[in-house]
Amino acid sequence: MTALRITDLVFRWPRQARNCLEIPQLELAAGERVFLHGPSGSGKSSLLGLLGGVAVPQSGAIELLGTNITQLGSSTRDRFRADHIGFLFQQFNLLPWLSALDNVTLPCTFSTRRRERTGDSPHAEAERLLGHLDLGPDTWRKPAGELSVGQQQRVAAARALIGRPEILIADEPTSALDAERQQIFIDLLLQESAAVGATLVFVSHDRRLAGHFDRVVALDEINRVAPELAT
Amino acid sequence: MKAVLRLAVLSAWSRRLTLGLTLIAIALAVTLLLAVERIRGDARQSFTQSVSGVDLVVGARTGGVQLMLYAVFHSGTASNNIGWESYRAIASHPAVDWALPLSLGDSHRGFAVLGTSADYFDRFRYGEREALHWRDGKAFTGVFEAVLGSEVARGLGYRLGDSITLSHGLAERGPEHGDKPFRVTGILAPTGTPVDRTVHVSLESITALHLDWVGGAPLPGVNIPAEFVAKFDLRPKEITAALVGLKQRGDAFRMQRFINQYRGEPLLAVLPGVALDELWQTVAMVERSLLAISALVVLIGLTGLAATLLAELNERRRELAILRALGAGPRDIFLMLTAEGVLVTAAGALLGVLLVTAGSGLAAPWLLERFGVVLAMRLPGGAELALIVAVIATGLLASLVPGWRAWRMSLADGLTPRN
Repeated sequence: MTALRITDLVFRWPRQARNCLEIPQLELAAGERVFLHGPSGSGKSSLLGLLGGVAVPQSGAIELLGTNITQLGSSTRDRFRADHIGFLFQQFNLLPWLSALDNVTLPCTFSTRRRERTGDSPHAEAERLLGHLDLGPDTWRKPAGELSVGQQQRVAAARALIGRPEILIADEPTSALDAERQQIFIDLLLQESAAVGATLVFVSHDRRLAGHFDRVVALDEINRVAPELAT
Repeated sequence: MKAVLRLAVLSAWSRRLTLGLTLIAIALAVTLLLAVERIRGDARQSFTQSVSGVDLVVGARTGGVQLMLYAVFHSGTASNNIGWESYRAIASHPAVDWALPLSLGDSHRGFAVLGTSADYFDRFRYGEREALHWRDGKAFTGVFEAVLGSEVARGLGYRLGDSITLSHGLAERGPEHGDKPFRVTGILAPTGTPVDRTVHVSLESITALHLDWVGGAPLPGVNIPAEFVAKFDLRPKEITAALVGLKQRGDAFRMQRFINQYRGEPLLAVLPGVALDELWQTVAMVERSLLAISALVVLIGLTGLAATLLAELNERRRELAILRALGAGPRDIFLMLTAEGVLVTAAGALLGVLLVTAGSGLAAPWLLERFGVVLAMRLPGGAELALIVAVIATGLLASLVPGWRAWRMSLADGLTPRN
């Protein structure tokens, strides 16, 4: 079973003369934990937008869990993203005006499937996840904006994991953390994605973090567009 | 969709300071708009209710509107009086069913004093041909007896048998007729018309009050005590105006012509409905300008709302990108922004309604006293409701701008906002 298969992908931003991505082939197996090395300018954000279904390639296919999402309508792609992908960003992942707990349960308000996969009790599952990630009950009801950066990233991780999405995409989630906490957070992600059986795509420009992953893919190697041209 | 609306509310709450100020601006604009509309409607209602069943109002030659204003609403002063002989000639005309003489010019602590005949209480009609009712006592029968309107009695705390003194002229602290006090013989039930704010006395009392007065001041060295006035001829020589009822309404124009061409002195007869129409035409321009200005103020408030939402949008790009990543579509983002604008508009309109309701309760006594306008403290209905709906609809239109912008932004940004 493949989690992701990209074939002959060509992508160019609107009103841009040159292609930004040309990826002939990329395949990730289900449950694989992949370090995607993407230095700035390698087309990283573009690829994430394509995987998330918020951008559409000029040609080629992107199959996620056996569905070619380039063939779906835009609202079906939005639904697909909500149902099957957990996202984790660099920082400021959370809506600061919601409590930590409400941030974690957000995916369940956009996706019935993920709600159902919490056993229809997103609240209890969110509490379990937060507790599991070492966030005590005293932090649960605090507005997310009042938590420390490290706490916020763990809340974001819990939000990405809730409802056990098949694919977890993390975009430099450790860049705001100090070196020591970086490795702890990465180990946590590896462990949790393994626990829910998710395919983890960890994107970073920092190769030193690649150590514990099953596989390392370099974006500037699979993308045929010269790095200085791709953004 | 419900989830998106809930997020819109929570997000708006997190920015409550800026949005609150915008909301207050909208609320004040709506208050102004509703107040103008309400005073307009209620003033018209109060004026129309004030007189009923009168076919002609007669006075000295002046403007029709002015005649109505002083004869019926006791507002302003007559430039000239009409002679008693002229009045008698009109009252005894074969086409005339009844006539009520009106003599104005004195006051009691800001309330108008009306000299008239005792018939007045049986003949006078207001609203839908409603007759006057007695709350207490009965009509005056002799000199120095007074019948109070309900508002006079309530406002000044008078009861039957109380003694009051009248002032000369309409100024609150005019020269007093202190030597000739009146006894209260009756108090009328409330009518919601100028009758409530009037002290009624007989024409003879008015003559008696002014026996020792000339040209608006007491004659120096002359003082005729109250007990001696009966020795004088108290029949009125002049009155201010008259209300006339005809046997057949169809005679109104003929009778009007008769009065306007009366040979004894220059007189004016107006049909109350026609004069009121003339009054509305005079004030319609002002009303429309006021309404247009208030509408403009509402537009300014709503433009401010759109500007605020647009300005905040840049700082919210991250928020929108997060929502996109969680599965929100561009349509959800559009809905969220538009809903926020509509929510602020609706809350502003609601606050405006509360302000105008409370405000009309507070301003009602003053408006009644100063202008004779009965302002009801009530929730909006009819035209006001239509205005509120129009405000919210305009708010929706204004909110479409930030909604559309957010929609475009979320399409362009995807999951990674470009700051």
